Amino acid sequence: MRGGPLRQPSHAHGRPTARVWLRRNLFRTPLDGVLTVVFGAISIWLLYKTLSFIFVTGRWDIIRVNLRLLMIGRFPEVHVLRIAVTMVALAGWVGLLAGFVRGRQVRSGKVPADDRFTLGRAADIAERLWLPAVVILLLLLLSGTPGPWITAGLGVVAAVAGRLIGPALGRQTFGTVATAALFTALGAVPIVLYFYVVTAVGFDDWGGFMLNIFLAVCSIVLCFPLGVLLALGRRSALPLVRVVATAYIELVRGAPLFVLLLLANVALGFFVPDTLAPSTSTRAIVVFTLFTAAYMAEIIRGGLQSVPRGQFEAAKAVGLSPVRQTGYIVLPQALRNVIPAQIGQLISLFKDTTLAGIAMGLFEMLNVSQAITAQEDFRGQGLIGETLTFTALLFWTVAYTMSRESQRLEKRLGVGVR
Amino acid sequence: MTDHTDPDTHSVYADATAMRGSGSAMIELEHVDKFFGDFQALADINLKVASQEVVVVIGPSGSGKSTMIRCINRLEEHDAGRIVVDGIELSNDIRNITEIRRETGMVFQSFNLFPHLSVLDNITLAPRKVRKLPKATADELGMALLEQVQIPEQAKKYPGQLSGGQQQRVAIARALAMKPKVMLFDEPTSALDPEMIGEVLDTMKELARSGMTMIVVTHEMGFAREVADRVVFMSDGQIVEVGTPEHFFENPREDRTKLFLSQIL
Repeated sequence: MRGGPLRQPSHAHGRPTARVWLRRNLFRTPLDGVLTVVFGAISIWLLYKTLSFIFVTGRWDIIRVNLRLLMIGRFPEVHVLRIAVTMVALAGWVGLLAGFVRGRQVRSGKVPADDRFTLGRAADIAERLWLPAVVILLLLLLSGTPGPWITAGLGVVAAVAGRLIGPALGRQTFGTVATAALFTALGAVPIVLYFYVVTAVGFDDWGGFMLNIFLAVCSIVLCFPLGVLLALGRRSALPLVRVVATAYIELVRGAPLFVLLLLANVALGFFVPDTLAPSTSTRAIVVFTLFTAAYMAEIIRGGLQSVPRGQFEAAKAVGLSPVRQTGYIVLPQALRNVIPAQIGQLISLFKDTTLAGIAMGLFEMLNVSQAITAQEDFRGQGLIGETLTFTALLFWTVAYTMSRESQRLEKRLGVGVR
Repeated sequence: MTDHTDPDTHSVYADATAMRGSGSAMIELEHVDKFFGDFQALADINLKVASQEVVVVIGPSGSGKSTMIRCINRLEEHDAGRIVVDGIELSNDIRNITEIRRETGMVFQSFNLFPHLSVLDNITLAPRKVRKLPKATADELGMALLEQVQIPEQAKKYPGQLSGGQQQRVAIARALAMKPKVMLFDEPTSALDPEMIGEVLDTMKELARSGMTMIVVTHEMGFAREVADRVVFMSDGQIVEVGTPEHFFENPREDRTKLFLSQIL
């Protein structure tokens, strides 16, 4: 918008000088003037305090020294390589999937086949990724060892390579068997990687921010289909299904998440012998999944109700069976209509993984950031502000990125909405 | 159920049968009643529609026109009487309902296109999923239908990017894609801007000429006059009068028909 032909007319009409602008917007009346001065002073003071905390008074040694604990907890040194391999492989996998989806869209004619790398696309990618990139760079600078740098570098290479190979794969048309095999292979990648890591280091020894991310990803993947089923169940014509779904939703939504986590930690021992009991992390995933599914169900039910009755009627009239009416006509519209609320719930779930530290003793990031202030070098120096700020920064980065991606998704799916 | 020896409706039924002979009825409604709570929306409806016949249903709003045709493909459930489409009797058996819906295409007042699918996908979805046509065959069929309604260039667009008249023509193509034996039109031009009504009516006329069996609920009297084999006048949930367009517009027999025509013409 800036520059180019637009600049000409604005010069011609005379842009307001700084003085005029100030008077119009900040000092129009005496009250405006007072408000501007008061809030201006407060803002400057807050900004000064924040900046001086970050650059002057803050003692970030504690973060630098404990960076590994914060990121991966007490994950044994000898097996850290497995995390690096997993991250590079995941980066490649994500790139491949993105390229594959793009290829499929090209094949079905939904997007033009033009794949040239233009300046516009570069700018678009930069706009999407600059925040996580800056934070990752900060972490790399803090780490001070070559390992993370190599991992990150290879990860970028793998992602780009995957993104370049993906479209070719997506444009191909395979037979039924080959397609099934391909999807199975793609779906198996994260599961294989999970076992690659977990066979070396048991789930209970995972920790730090990695554990938060893992708990969140598993719960998100599991709670979504469950939420859809519950939402459909609550609107089912069968009374039994409806009663069960409604009872589940109301029961779970009525209980505080923290209490459920405590219960899963303590009360499970009453029913299951210790040897059979699942690991604490698994229990946490189960609780997060079951809890969030109830909320997702209500959000999705709202989406289902937003689909006009005419859509059901048209689907019936062309002869679609009830299952197909739901799968092809109603659900796609319902889910799209409630993307913001769904993503909000998932962001909330991601942040709530910190509760698992306090309620269940998992060594996740918040727990780490408290524990390290009790280390001999840092004890009694009031460094909790530094560690909490750092934790908040990482959580905010991920949550804000999720939010921005959801807005982007919404916009893209918005093509052709009534 | 209303007594079916009631002279009024009995004569109507006889009228309909006399017109076409009783043999090859595509659609038969016998003594159909429909209630919404205490309100009787349809009262002893008797109507036979022969194969390749075009029947236009008119009447004041709330007279049960839409309810009647919505009963034929079970968007509404009738409470008494028989509905038979192409020899299949409509019952609570889901197989019969599905069977009848495959044979019946429906066009709605508000189009009801699927907004998340492209125009072509709107048309090909049911053939692919219900008739199990391969994608290439279905796409071919879809394009042929879009040619027929004269908007093949819109295939890749989404319904929201089309004008009302274009959307309704896509809706007609979508209904035709299942190769139905009967087409039901529920006030197909009532939601359109005046300048778009013509294009939709032209498409419907074309369809009538091709020999499609059609029941059309409409307020377009010109269309009724020109295309209908028979005109059905409904009021208060009953069929009041049935006749050829000439009979109907020149010499209506019933007072309620005369009153209605005097109000709209």
